[in-house]
Amino acid sequence: MIQVFSGITARNLRGAIHASNLYSVSIQHKEFFCWKPTYQHISTNNSMRPNDVIEAQDMVPAEGNRSCSSSVQSTPEIEKKYVHRVYDAIAPHFSATRFAKWPKVAEFLNSLRPGSVVLDAGCGNGKYLGFNPDCFFIGCDISPPLIEICAGRGHEVLVADAVNLPYRDNFGDAAISIAVLHHLSTDERRRKAIEELIRVVRRGGLVLITVWAREQEDKSLLNKWTPLCEKYNEEWVDQSSPPVRSQSATLLESIAETDEDAGVMKQADDRLKKCHDSMEDKTIAACSNTDTDEKETNQQEYFVPWHLPFHRAEIGGASAAALENGFAKKDEKKGTVVYNRYYHVFVEGELQ
Amino acid sequence: MRLLTHNMLASNVRGATTGYPLKLEAAKWVTKEVDLNADFIRGLLPKIDWRALVAATRALGLPELLPEEQPPEEEIFAEGAADVEGSAIRRIHHALLEIHVQEGSLVCPDTSRCFPIDKGIPNMMLHEDEV
Repeated sequence: MIQVFSGITARNLRGAIHASNLYSVSIQHKEFFCWKPTYQHISTNNSMRPNDVIEAQDMVPAEGNRSCSSSVQSTPEIEKKYVHRVYDAIAPHFSATRFAKWPKVAEFLNSLRPGSVVLDAGCGNGKYLGFNPDCFFIGCDISPPLIEICAGRGHEVLVADAVNLPYRDNFGDAAISIAVLHHLSTDERRRKAIEELIRVVRRGGLVLITVWAREQEDKSLLNKWTPLCEKYNEEWVDQSSPPVRSQSATLLESIAETDEDAGVMKQADDRLKKCHDSMEDKTIAACSNTDTDEKETNQQEYFVPWHLPFHRAEIGGASAAALENGFAKKDEKKGTVVYNRYYHVFVEGELQ
Repeated sequence: MRLLTHNMLASNVRGATTGYPLKLEAAKWVTKEVDLNADFIRGLLPKIDWRALVAATRALGLPELLPEEQPPEEEIFAEGAADVEGSAIRRIHHALLEIHVQEGSLVCPDTSRCFPIDKGIPNMMLHEDEV
C-alpha cells in the first residue's frame, strides 16, 4: 500500500506516509512561518520517498489572522445543510460508531511531550480527547450534540468553529484536525482553518491534519459517493469566486470509496470489506453522470451518505422532519434513513 | 469549563481588538479533585496569563486563592511543595484544573458580546453578522 505523510518544519516539507484513505500533514510551528494562499498549487511528486525534502519557498511570514474577510468566515449554506445539520441529526449514531482510533493519529498523540496542551479542532465525539493521559486535551466542534456527548464523558470541550478558533495565539503545544477540513467547501475556508491551527500553537508546537483522500486504493467501491459538479457550482458556490481546482488534480485519476460509515479506521491497513450495492442516494445537487474524462478526473466535491438505521432514526423527531422536507431519504432495503454529507476530497499534494 | 480553558479563550467577534481576557461571570461552579502533576504545571505556567487567572478566581468569589502577583518559580516548585497543603503550586493546580464553571457566561472585553456557558460548555459560536 502507498502511504503519504508530510511533515513541515519551518523551512522544509518532508514527505512521509500516504494512507489508503486519508492524507495527513504534520507541521511544526516555528516563528513567523505560515502557508501562503497558493498552497494548493504546489504539486508533489507522486513517487516522493519518506525522506525526501522539498524546499518550502512558499512559506511567508504569517500575518495577523483577525482581519479575514467575512466571506471566508461566514458559513456557506452547503456546509450548514450538508455538514452541520447532518451531524446534529446523526450525532448519537455517529458517536456510537466512532471509537476506533486511526493509528497515525494515535502515534502522533503518543509522541507528544508529557504535559502538552492539545487542541482538537473539530473533535466530533471526542474519541481522541484524553487519548494520551499525560497531555491535557481541549476539544471543540461546531455540533452542539456531539460536544454534549464529549462533555458527558468528562472531556474539556466547547462549541466553536474550526475556521474561527476562539483561542489566543501560541497557547497549545499541539493542535489536531482529524477528518475535518474536507467538510469545508472552499479553498479559502480550508486554508483559514489551517492557519488557525498554526496560530493557536506555540513556536515549535505541532499540528496534525488528516483529510479524506480522493485517491483510494480500493477501486471496487467506486461510485458510492455522489459527485457534485456543475450544479454544485451553480447552487452553492458564489459566482464571483469559483472554486479553484488544484493543478495536481490533473495528475490523478481514480475515485473510490472506503466505508467510513462502518468505522473502518481501526487500523490504517484495514480494508473496506462491506460493499455498498447501489447508488440510489442521489440528491438534488448531484449530477447524474460526468460528461468527460477530464471532469471526472477533477471531481473533488461529493455527497457521502450516512445511513442512520431506522431504530435509531425513530428515536428523535429530527429524522422524521428531515424525511418530510426531503433533506433525508429512506432506504427501505437497508432499513436506514440516508443523510448526505458534503465532502471535498483532497488530491495528493493539495495539503502542501 | 476549567479556568485553564478560560485562560486560553479569546473572543473573535467582529470589532474585538484582542478579545482577551474574557470576563467570567459564573452562576454555578464545582470542584473535582485531580492528581497534581508538577511537571505539567511547570510547562504550563509560562503560558498562563496570571492576571486573567487571578481575575477569574476573584470572579468566582475566591479572593484568597491566588495572590495578585505570581509567586517566584523557585517558591512554586520548591522541593516538596506539592505535598504541602495550601502551597502555591497546590493553589495554582486547584485554580487551573479542579474548578469547573458549570453555568455562567464569558463576556468579550472589547464588545461586551456574551458567550454562554451551559452545562459546563462554553458556546463560542458567532452569528453570521459577527464574523
